[in-house]
Amino acid sequence: MRYLMILLTAIVLMASDATLEIVKSTDNRPSVAIQDASEFGDMGIRGKFFRLVTGDLKVTAHFKVDDTYRSCSYDSMIDPLLKNSDYIFRYRFREGDGQRLYMDVRAYDMGSKSAIYERSYRVANRSRYPFLIHQAVIDFNDYLQMPSVGWMKRYVVFSQYTKPKQADIVVADYTLTYRKKVVSGGLNIFPKWADRDQRGIYYTKLGSRPVLYHFNIYTGKERRVISSDGMLVCSDVSRDGKRLLLTMAPEGQPDIYMYNIESGVKERLTFYSGIDVSAQFTGSEKRIIFVSDRLGYPNIFIKEVRDRAVRQLVYHGKNNNACSAHGKYVVYTSRESDNAFSSNTFNLYLVSTESDYIRRLTASGVNQFPKFSPDGESVIYIKHYASQSALGVIRLNYNEGFLFPLRGHRIQSIDW
Amino acid sequence: MKKSLIIAAAAAALLMSGCSQKKPEVDMTKQETTEKEAPAVTEADSGVSTVVGTEESGDITTLPENGRTEVIKELEAKAKKIYFDFDKYNIRPDQEPRVDEDAQLFSSDAAKDLTIKIEGNCDEWGTDEYNYALGLRRAKTVRDALAIKGIDESRMVMVSYGESNPVCTEHTKECWAKNRRVEFKLLP
Repeated sequence: MRYLMILLTAIVLMASDATLEIVKSTDNRPSVAIQDASEFGDMGIRGKFFRLVTGDLKVTAHFKVDDTYRSCSYDSMIDPLLKNSDYIFRYRFREGDGQRLYMDVRAYDMGSKSAIYERSYRVANRSRYPFLIHQAVIDFNDYLQMPSVGWMKRYVVFSQYTKPKQADIVVADYTLTYRKKVVSGGLNIFPKWADRDQRGIYYTKLGSRPVLYHFNIYTGKERRVISSDGMLVCSDVSRDGKRLLLTMAPEGQPDIYMYNIESGVKERLTFYSGIDVSAQFTGSEKRIIFVSDRLGYPNIFIKEVRDRAVRQLVYHGKNNNACSAHGKYVVYTSRESDNAFSSNTFNLYLVSTESDYIRRLTASGVNQFPKFSPDGESVIYIKHYASQSALGVIRLNYNEGFLFPLRGHRIQSIDW
Repeated sequence: MKKSLIIAAAAAALLMSGCSQKKPEVDMTKQETTEKEAPAVTEADSGVSTVVGTEESGDITTLPENGRTEVIKELEAKAKKIYFDFDKYNIRPDQEPRVDEDAQLFSSDAAKDLTIKIEGNCDEWGTDEYNYALGLRRAKTVRDALAIKGIDESRMVMVSYGESNPVCTEHTKECWAKNRRVEFKLLP
C-alpha cells in the first residue's frame, strides 16, 4: 500500500511539470458566440475589432470560441440559432467626443436565456482600442470565475530597426496591435522592463560606445546607468529591481556581470574566453542561466551566482542561442537545420531546471525571441513563416497556441 | 486492502485531474524600483524645447571640412573588409592576406595617427544578444590579428552592430555571407 501511494504521488508530481505536454481528449470548456452591434467604423475596422475580440477570448484558453462573425442591434432579442452556445458575448463600439471611443459589453447566459452582466469601457484615443477589448475580455473571464488573464493588460516593450544603425523603442499591448514609440534617434536596442509595475525600462543606446539608460515611460525622465566598451546589454532585472544582469565586454570579451543599482558595484560572474550572454535569474535568484559557446556552439548553461562552476542545462540541439527563464522553467530557441543555409527552422523548447524533460512548443518556421509572461503561464514569441510574421502566444498549461499577424519593421529584441 | 487500494487510486485520480491547471511557482511580491536623481543640469533651451514642432533650423554656417576628411574617406575605401563563416569568429585562411593589407594600410604615414574603429557585423540569422556578441568577437579577432602585425592596441576601438547594419538586404546565401563581416572606420 505504501509503495502504491509513493508511486501515485510520483506520478502526480511528474504530471505537474509544465514540461510535460498535456493532451486533452475531451473539450468541456463553455462555448461562446460573439455578436457585433457596433455603431462605429466601416466593415474593415469592425473586422479588426472582431478579430481581436475573438483572439483575446481564444487566448484565455478557457472557452470554445465560435469565430463566425455575427452582427445584430445591441438591444435585439437573443438569436434562437445560438441556443447551442453556453454564452453570448455581445459588444458595441461607439464614438465619443473628440477621439474618445466606447465599448459596451452585454453577456448572455444561454442556460437561463438572460443577460448576466453589462459593462461599458472608454479610451481617450481611438488608437488605444486594443485595451478596451483586453479589459472587456478580462472582466468576462473573471465574471465566469476562470483563472485570471489579467496579464492581457500588461505592456510589451520592443526595439525595431528602422534603417541601418537605427532602431526605435516601442511600447505596445501584448498583441503588438497598439504601439507607441517612446525612444527614437540612433540605435536604441535591448529594452528590458526595469520594475514589475512596468513604469521604467532599461535600454542600450549604441553610439560611439554603448551606454545603458533607465527611462521612465510616464515622465520621459532618462538616467544614464553605466557604459562599457564593445557591448553592454541589460539581460535581466531582479524581482526587487535592485540588481541587473548585464552582458559587458570591456576588452571585447562578452561576459556576464551583476550590477547593484544602489551601490553601483559590479561583479563579474563568468570567466570564459568565448561568448557568455543573455543571463537570466532562475529559481530564487541564487542561480542564473545563460547562453555560452563554451562547447563550440551556442547552448544554455546554469550556474550558482556565487560559484564559478558551470553546468550544461540543455542536452539537445546544436545551436540554442536565446532563452528566457521563469522560476524553474526555461524556454529556449533551437536552430533545427544543421548547416548554414538549408531551410532555416528555429523551434522553441521548454525545459525545467529540476527535471530532464524537454517539451517542444513550436513545430515549423522561424520562432524567435521567446519571453515568459510575468506569471510564467504563457510564452510570447515572434514567428516568421512563409514570408509572413506573427506574434505568437503559447498558453503552457493548456497546450494551446495563438498567432496575431504582425506588420511593420523588423524586431530587434522584445520584453514582456 | 482492496478497499484501501481503490480509495488511494480515486484520491490520485482526483489530484491528477487538477494538474493541467497547476501554475509554476511565482513570487508576486511587488517592490518599487529606487530611482536616483540625475545631477542638476541647467537647460539653456527649456523655453524653446516646449515649443511644438518637429524641424528646427538656425543660422549657423557649417564648419568647413578640412582636407583630412577626404584623406580619411580614401583610406576607409582602401581598407579591406574581413568576411566570416556562419556562426564563426575565427579568421578564415582566405581572409588572412586581407588582414595583412589592412595592417600595412593602418601603419602607413597617412593613417598612423588615426584611431581605428573596428565594427563587427552579423547576418540576420542570430537572435538577441548572441548575435551582438558574435559581432564583437569578430571585431576582437581582427583587433588581436592587427595587434600581432604591429598595430598599437591603444589605437583600436571595437563595436558590434549585430544584425543592425547590413550591406545587403536580400534573403540569399550570398547576401548573408556579405553581411558577416568586420569593417573599419578611421577617426582623427
